[in-house]
Amino acid sequence: MAVVPVKIEKDGKWVVSKIDIQKEGMTIAEPFSKNVPFKSVVDLEQKKNVLFITLKGEPPVVLKVASVEKVLHALKKFIIMSCSAYRLMAYFMSPAVRGGVMATNATWEKGAIAVLKTSIWFVSQNKQVSVPLSEVTGIELTKREVTNKQADVVKIEHLEDGEVIVSYVLCPISTLQILMNFLADATKDMEMTGDELDPVSAQVGMLIYSGMDSHAIENMLSISHKELDRVYDNLLKLGLIEVVLIRKEVTLTPKGVRFITDSVKPPSQ
Amino acid sequence: MGKILIVDDTLFMRTLLKNILFSGGHDIVGEAGDGDEAIAKYKELKPDLVTMDVVMPKVNGIEALKGIKTFDPNAKVVMCTAVGQEQMVKLAIKTGAKGYIVKPFQAPKVLEEIKNVLGS
Repeated sequence: MAVVPVKIEKDGKWVVSKIDIQKEGMTIAEPFSKNVPFKSVVDLEQKKNVLFITLKGEPPVVLKVASVEKVLHALKKFIIMSCSAYRLMAYFMSPAVRGGVMATNATWEKGAIAVLKTSIWFVSQNKQVSVPLSEVTGIELTKREVTNKQADVVKIEHLEDGEVIVSYVLCPISTLQILMNFLADATKDMEMTGDELDPVSAQVGMLIYSGMDSHAIENMLSISHKELDRVYDNLLKLGLIEVVLIRKEVTLTPKGVRFITDSVKPPSQ
Repeated sequence: MGKILIVDDTLFMRTLLKNILFSGGHDIVGEAGDGDEAIAKYKELKPDLVTMDVVMPKVNGIEALKGIKTFDPNAKVVMCTAVGQEQMVKLAIKTGAKGYIVKPFQAPKVLEEIKNVLGS
């Protein structure tokens, strides 16, 4: 159907090659000379301009393919539509909300949803959105107004570059329920199993979500450094937060005090 | 940078928004805890922008938005509500809201939305 230029990683080096994309699979030209049926693909990830294509096998083989976005776009579309995955035709809206702000240009896209080993892909004629399952922060079967009627939708929240993105999937309720169960199973490690949070811990969590640092949180909630540390320990234990920075609190030594007092003395006559 | 009136029935959310908006260089000219107070404060303070919670006791955010728009058709109001109440968006936009923030929110995005609305 189309022969496209690519670079494929081999023994840690990028090797120039070509891929002949067909309906059911792709043929990688020399020096690889490999035929890859799309059905043998069990996972697909993209990092910048590199596709990580995982093929069925023991152990699984990962092909790293680099190319321009136009080529990757075409390749992804064929792989997602034919690979080994849970797939359904649906409408999706992604992103609908980014960082708590409604995306004003968000529209329902008609396309396919594919749930792979490590990510969910939304694919339409013009759009390809990947949501890594490890970054999913919430899934919910809810209702949303679609063409003046309340419709059942699955809401998926995930983290992207530190921002929380909300996406919606719209399709018949029976399919949504299957998708919901599939996603719930794929993200079961994210479920809370600990005690409920006390009100202060919940407020601290909300402030962290909003981007407040420790100093701002102490001021806003009028709590001490020690009290905040206790809350952090609790949230750490529940796996809800991770430490990104340990700030030092210091006091001056006698040498430091002398230096500072000397520095403000007027110059000697 | 603008003069902003924050309307929310919880002190916690008002404090959070105040902190975020202050960090963005905005001037917080007032706060209100319900819709009635919001309309009165708007008339008194004439802010450049209002952040308005939707669900509040007594007069809710949509009613307060209507009241403010009746007084000042050019008022810039950004609605603010919890996840799951997104269906209110249509009603709020129809009533004249210029923007919409969903709780929980993240500071940079809130500031971006406020900047967009102030510049519109």
